Amino acid sequence: MGRFSGFLVTARQMFKPRLTTEYPEQVREYPARRHGRHVLNRYEDGMEKCIGCELCAGICPARCIYVRGADNPPDDPVSPGERYGFVYEINYLRCIHCDLCVEACPTEAITETKLFEFSWNNRNDSIYTKDQLLVDDDGHPRKQPWEAWAPGQDENLSEWVRATSPSGMAEYEGRVSWSGDLGHGVRDPGPTQAELDGREEID
Amino acid sequence: MTTGQAQTDTELVTLTIDGREVQARKGELLIKVAQENGVYIPRFCWHERMEPVGMCRMCLVQVDGMRGFPPACTTPVAEGMVAHTDTEPVKKIQDGVLEFLLINHPLDCPVCDRGGECPLQDQTLAFGPGESRFTEEKRHFEKPIPLSGLVLLDRERCIQCGRCTRFAEEIAGDPLIDFGERSDRMQVVTFPDEPFSSYFSGNTVQICPVGALLSKPYRFKARPWDLSTSETTCTTCAVGCRGALQSSSNRLLRLLGVDLDAVNQGWLCDKGRYGYEWVHADERVLEPSVRVRNAMVDVSWPEALEAVANELQRAIELHGPSSVAVLGGARGSNEDAYAWVRLAKGVIGTDNVDAQLGDGLPADAVLGLPRAEIDDLDQAAAIVLLGPDLKEELPVLYLRVKQAAVSKKVPLLDLAPVDVGLTPYATAVSRTVPGEEGVAAERLVAAIGGRASGDAGIDAFAAAATGRSGPVVVVLGRGSVAQSAAPTMRAAAAFAALPNVRFLSALRRGNVHGALDLGLAPGFLPGRVTLDAGRGWFAPIWQTVPKERGLDAEGILRAAADGKVRVLVLLGADPVADFPDTDLARRAIDGAGYVVAVDAFLSESTRRADAFLPCTVWGEKAGTTTNLEGRVQRLGRKVSPEGTTMDDWRIAGELAVRLGNDFDLEFVDEVTDEIATVAPAHAGARSQLLRRSRDGVVLPVREHLHEIMVRTGDLNIMAEDGPAVSWDPIRVDAAEPSEEGDAAHEVDEARGEAERLEREAPAHHEWDRAANVGDAPGRDAYALRLVSGRELYDGGRITTCSPSLAPLRKDSALMVHPQDLARIGVEEGTQVRVTSSRATVTLPVRTHPSVPAGTARLPFTADGRGASELIDTTTMVTDLRVETIS
Ligand code: SF4
Ligand code: SF4
Ligand code: SF4
Ligand code: SF4
Ligand code: FES
Repeated sequence: MGRFSGFLVTARQMFKPRLTTEYPEQVREYPARRHGRHVLNRYEDGMEKCIGCELCAGICPARCIYVRGADNPPDDPVSPGERYGFVYEINYLRCIHCDLCVEACPTEAITETKLFEFSWNNRNDSIYTKDQLLVDDDGHPRKQPWEAWAPGQDENLSEWVRATSPSGMAEYEGRVSWSGDLGHGVRDPGPTQAELDGREEID
Repeated sequence: MTTGQAQTDTELVTLTIDGREVQARKGELLIKVAQENGVYIPRFCWHERMEPVGMCRMCLVQVDGMRGFPPACTTPVAEGMVAHTDTEPVKKIQDGVLEFLLINHPLDCPVCDRGGECPLQDQTLAFGPGESRFTEEKRHFEKPIPLSGLVLLDRERCIQCGRCTRFAEEIAGDPLIDFGERSDRMQVVTFPDEPFSSYFSGNTVQICPVGALLSKPYRFKARPWDLSTSETTCTTCAVGCRGALQSSSNRLLRLLGVDLDAVNQGWLCDKGRYGYEWVHADERVLEPSVRVRNAMVDVSWPEALEAVANELQRAIELHGPSSVAVLGGARGSNEDAYAWVRLAKGVIGTDNVDAQLGDGLPADAVLGLPRAEIDDLDQAAAIVLLGPDLKEELPVLYLRVKQAAVSKKVPLLDLAPVDVGLTPYATAVSRTVPGEEGVAAERLVAAIGGRASGDAGIDAFAAAATGRSGPVVVVLGRGSVAQSAAPTMRAAAAFAALPNVRFLSALRRGNVHGALDLGLAPGFLPGRVTLDAGRGWFAPIWQTVPKERGLDAEGILRAAADGKVRVLVLLGADPVADFPDTDLARRAIDGAGYVVAVDAFLSESTRRADAFLPCTVWGEKAGTTTNLEGRVQRLGRKVSPEGTTMDDWRIAGELAVRLGNDFDLEFVDEVTDEIATVAPAHAGARSQLLRRSRDGVVLPVREHLHEIMVRTGDLNIMAEDGPAVSWDPIRVDAAEPSEEGDAAHEVDEARGEAERLEREAPAHHEWDRAANVGDAPGRDAYALRLVSGRELYDGGRITTCSPSLAPLRKDSALMVHPQDLARIGVEEGTQVRVTSSRATVTLPVRTHPSVPAGTARLPFTADGRGASELIDTTTMVTDLRVETIS
């Protein structure tokens, strides 16, 4: 074989089906749990879910969230309760899309879309402000000029399922602990760890 | 040591906690002994500085031989005691207590300001059951309701530990909050129509173990994990309370009290606690400016400095050094004071320098009186109060005197001109005609000497003090700025005859003692030496030393009003607002040739400045400060200054360079170190020593080196693992300097330095009792003698530029005795015409039985309604005529 052995690999591959997709003309189907840019959700009545508690900012390993809370104006409250997110910013030059913020949030205010195709010409644009992150009146993300949304990337925004479940029990994995809001849908959680292990489900 | 706790004695006992043998002083509480030996027993109601009450049941433990589960917070240790804190039954109780407390707790941690540093969260995590079985509806109350202008109460979160109510009664002496209703409706309440307007209310927020009590100024401003912390010293008044200053995103957001046993024991007053707001006030001046054809024009620093230096140069050349005067400097750091003294006295050569504004005591007395420390109060034979209302002017000193009188049962004599905050705790009260304090002092000396004084109160006090050991501590200050300091000095001279007498000078401004110690007073040079004694020592170090003694604040203002001051430097001073005689101050500012303001704000006085050099303020600068007992402590720099402000000491250095003398001081530590090498009283107080010493250093350093405790850790606010501790006394771990440790080396070095200066430098100034004394003239039967003192929330910048404090100012009215009101013949609250030898003003008049007949009280404020228009400093006292307006 000698000097031709190197071509063998090529020859073998030539007749296999091609896996390369012609990105960006063709877009692959994304895994259901893809982590993209965030949205701040609202309740059906339009109130914001974020209470400005800064738990997301506290957990974020990239330190890219900046939140400040303020007293809800009593006659025109922004969120239910005493406090609302007065300033909310995420710096996407730093975010690693780990979704720890999503897990930390006590009100399911912050979740992620599947959008990952966004780029800017200046760094200020990389810092998304509350106005940009907040979903619009139908519960859909407000699309920014520099974002390339593929179909379906803005659906099922509440589909995140906690990895760290109540009491940290793996059995809870896969359970929906989220409420669907504003019509963007909740994903079927899939099998739980117990089901995967073929065990009886808990309680 | 600790407030009123079960008496401890020095006898040591041996006991066993969780199988480990430990030693402790007999009578010490088990919960504290355990903690000191590394066993943390969970607790809610117990606070080390308050009486234990055993209310929350969180600290239950097992003790062999005792029935049931005694609370560790009420159980004193005894010889041979065997205690268990982690047995199964104890854990079950802890689970139970926590589950019970959480039944009605809303668990709204995400929107709670305590969340993240909450003792209930932390202890539930560490000692609680993990899961709740409670699914029923919890109790509901309206979310936070204001208890006062500063404190909010979220009743849902309260766990009824009683820390706040006990603090208000036991420590602050303002029992304005209490528990109302029963069972699950039990809540902290104020009395109808009476807010929790204690000057110490912020402390309840700090010690509340949940987020039930909240600071209005801090509400929703940040979460604990946003905050970064620096240890610092409060300079709002001269007590010098230790604090932990916290900021986020370059904004000061919170000041917590740090437990410095010798000074504030963990407490702060509300003005100190919330007074950080003024640092970020919009009114701050952030760029230098100079006057060009009657308008202020922003210029660069080099231009501004050049302009000021040229004016100084011209004044010196044409009119001699004493045509330059410097007023103020009591609000800055020691470094600021020293650099300005070096500029004024060592470069320019003028001695017309005064840090006080005619409202304090003569520097000769303050620097020479035998000094007491605050801690001496607790061990004193007796305490005499002759001065202002400490509750209004030096709030935490008020707490310490009150504690000495109430918990330590030290006899207290109140010689203030009118009733003050401490009057209810005084053993005896004696009111003299203001201006005749010397008579009262002589009576006291007679009574203590065993002779009848002719004053029943003083006799009773002397009887109570007889047979007690310890010093007699006199808290000495100006009971009224409406009279000169001479009668007070007459009294001080008489007090000097008391056995083992020591004085605490009750001067008010933050670093006034530091400024005086460092020579910001006529006739003095840094380190408590007089001009004459120190000339030989400083001449070779500095470029020059003033030829003769200069003028004090009053003299400077008079000279300025007569056009004899060519350059007047206002170092953070606002004489129009603060000098007792506003009229003179106004004329002085107008009459001065060129006014240089080194300040952070425009004021009545600095508005007229010809050059404005904006300086950094507390929180923005490092350095040291000296409190009223002479304790030098470090300041924390927590935020970067906005604009192009400069530290005062640096401004002095820059001006010196332009006048041909380079101080060669680059960093603030170098200034501290220069002070430690040239100022006799400060000899050895180097920056390194101050950094290592937990409690600072009391001057003169040499006499206090044995007290030094070396810090072995950092501020104990958020424990690494385990519960947050900011609600318990915040402390810094410390140890005595060890033989071989480097701290011992620093202490040795300080001793060496102090001894060298003792040999080579001039001796400290000693008090001349005969100086500055005087008696007031008699009062005619129709006149009311004016007594005027400050209120805590006065018209000063800290109050007016802090949005949370500004609304707390009270209206001022002339207070007279009911008998006098009847004589004037008007109704309570009517406007009357008040005439002094200086001015006539119209004021409302009210009665108060605390004001003796023949006396009228009017707070000293700067807004025209106060006393400053009426006070005439050319006379020793100010007598008023009050007439109806017809
Ligand atoms: S996804 Fe991760 S990195 Fe991005 S904002 Fe959330 S916590 Fe931070
Ligand atoms: S997004 Fe969620 S975690 Fe973040 S501040 Fe808002 S409520 Fe809190
Ligand atoms: S308000 Fe706080 S300190 Fe006061 S009783 Fe309730 S929990 Fe205790
Ligand atoms: S007593 Fe004085 S030093 Fe202490 S906190 Fe109040 S203002 Fe600051
Ligand atoms: S009962 Fe001991 S801490 Fe409350």
